[in-house]
Amino acid sequence: MTPTLAELHPCFQGVIPSLITTCARDGTPNITYLSQVHLVGPTQVALSQQFFNKTQRNIAENPWAAVLVMDPVSFEAYRLLLRFHHAETSGPLFERMALRIQVIASHTGMAGVFKLRSADVYDVVEIERVVDFLRPSGAGAPVGGAPLPAGPLTELRGLQTISDRIARACDLEGLLAGALAALDELFGFSHAMVLLPEEPDGHLVAISSRGYGDAGIGAEVRRGEGIIGTVAERRRMIRMAGFGAELRYGRAIRGRVAECGERGTLAPEIPLPGLPDAQAQLALPLLVGERLMGVLAVESRDPLHFDDWDEAFLGIVGNQIAMGIARTRAPEDEDASAERPGGGTRGGGSVRRSFCYYRNDDCVFVDGEYLIRNVPGKILWKVLGLHLREGRTEFTNRELRLDPALGLPAVKDNLESRLILLRKRLQQKCPEVRLVPVRRGRFALELDCAVELIEKETG
Amino acid sequence: MSATLSPEVASFLESGISVLVGTRDPRLVPEAMRAVGARVEAGGAELTVFLPAATAARTVANLEDNGRIAVCFSRPIDHRSLQVKGRVLSIRDGDAADRAVIDRYLEALAGTWQEIGVPPTVVRRVTRWPAHAIRLCIEEVFVQTPGPGAGAPLAGEGVR
Repeated sequence: MTPTLAELHPCFQGVIPSLITTCARDGTPNITYLSQVHLVGPTQVALSQQFFNKTQRNIAENPWAAVLVMDPVSFEAYRLLLRFHHAETSGPLFERMALRIQVIASHTGMAGVFKLRSADVYDVVEIERVVDFLRPSGAGAPVGGAPLPAGPLTELRGLQTISDRIARACDLEGLLAGALAALDELFGFSHAMVLLPEEPDGHLVAISSRGYGDAGIGAEVRRGEGIIGTVAERRRMIRMAGFGAELRYGRAIRGRVAECGERGTLAPEIPLPGLPDAQAQLALPLLVGERLMGVLAVESRDPLHFDDWDEAFLGIVGNQIAMGIARTRAPEDEDASAERPGGGTRGGGSVRRSFCYYRNDDCVFVDGEYLIRNVPGKILWKVLGLHLREGRTEFTNRELRLDPALGLPAVKDNLESRLILLRKRLQQKCPEVRLVPVRRGRFALELDCAVELIEKETG
Repeated sequence: MSATLSPEVASFLESGISVLVGTRDPRLVPEAMRAVGARVEAGGAELTVFLPAATAARTVANLEDNGRIAVCFSRPIDHRSLQVKGRVLSIRDGDAADRAVIDRYLEALAGTWQEIGVPPTVVRRVTRWPAHAIRLCIEEVFVQTPGPGAGAPLAGEGVR
């Protein structure tokens, strides 16, 4: 039975690269890999053209192309006979294909070098399954393995649990950690992170993560870069499957650009916060009204892990997280109750940590290692300075807000997220220095070491 | 036209990476199919490519018609790719020695495909036998790694 083009949808997700043969007018065939096959309609596909190459020269002479695609779940192969129809260099189809390529290009530091030249639309003249491409499997078991069936009630109860944790969280750190933990425990989103935008340029900073340890906290992503930066800029959910395959494709091109002496055109590669071997990623904007509160990103080593269900489900959870973040931004009243002792120094003499602040870029290093910068860096510098000069161990959020040197905006200042980031960076790089919340709107400085402060104009 | 592969390139082609065969019919309608291995011969001037009889009927018919063949070799993990173009010298049924090469090839391919997330059990199920052995003389070799310069003739140490 001949499958329809729509039934071959999984083959077009880019998980397993497709092949294309074309033929020059003089009869010489040419075979190569294709980076993207895009389903256009019931009888048409579009192929991406990033570079002018032999395939395009052949098509200009002879419109026929044979494409071999593989289903990433069943691993069956299908042969498509195509005839070139027309090329598009603008419009919705071009934009959709260009967005995907832009994401890969910016992830591999090639924004502007590796971009879509045209979306070439072909009529699909024949579709046939390659009979006997695979021998029957011994046990007849499905190769890919289907996810366990989940009943609507189970899902609804899980969603309720996540919603409860978000609604009852008493601070931003608890809200994000609770939501990510519930997504992992109840729904198997085992690698997830939340990034929040930072002024003045709106770059994103990873503030909470699950499944990566603490190493990714503080990782920065610029607007428009990679999947996460693109989600923030466009305020649209992006789901990438077969991401690893395309990332490798992008890296291959990057390698060739460098070898061909065009190294100067490459930006440094952005380290992807998360799994080095991610095969699928889904990221969505956290929006309240028109305001971008952050980005939620999940990823998996399984290229087919995320589907339409995940998009819809995470959309709901994302909305709840966004509203939760907005709630924690409301200015807190200082809580005079629940007095708890804290702060001070303990056995500070044995270890000595040396902090260096660079005024030109607001960076703080500890014993020569980068710690933190910008507003959280200035907060740390202020707190350590007050401790050394005046012996203070307890500080209020209010005094930080009122200090013009810190440059916090008058309203909706993200102070809490900055303190979370600062606490987590200290945990990783300098656990002898701790900022411990003592009650609402107050925190204490705890030191297990002697501290030295050095200020420099530039590094 | 002829080209001779260097030993380094020959060992890359035989290293258990994807082998893809492009042909065309008398009306210049192309065909694409996966091969199940290749062997470099005649000191790098010739190549034998193995095609399963079950899936390559159209490819073999094209080769019997006009002998024009393109073979792309590609390593999935980094897309390092070369394309060999040539003319068919002979088409015969594979023998026991060929079968050993094919079995070794698919075992190595299972390893390289595992790196990109394809379970080895799938590669082991690829139909392999009986197979045709297609011998060709190498005319041209091109760099096919995607990016600028893709499609340029392989120069320098790679060919003579």
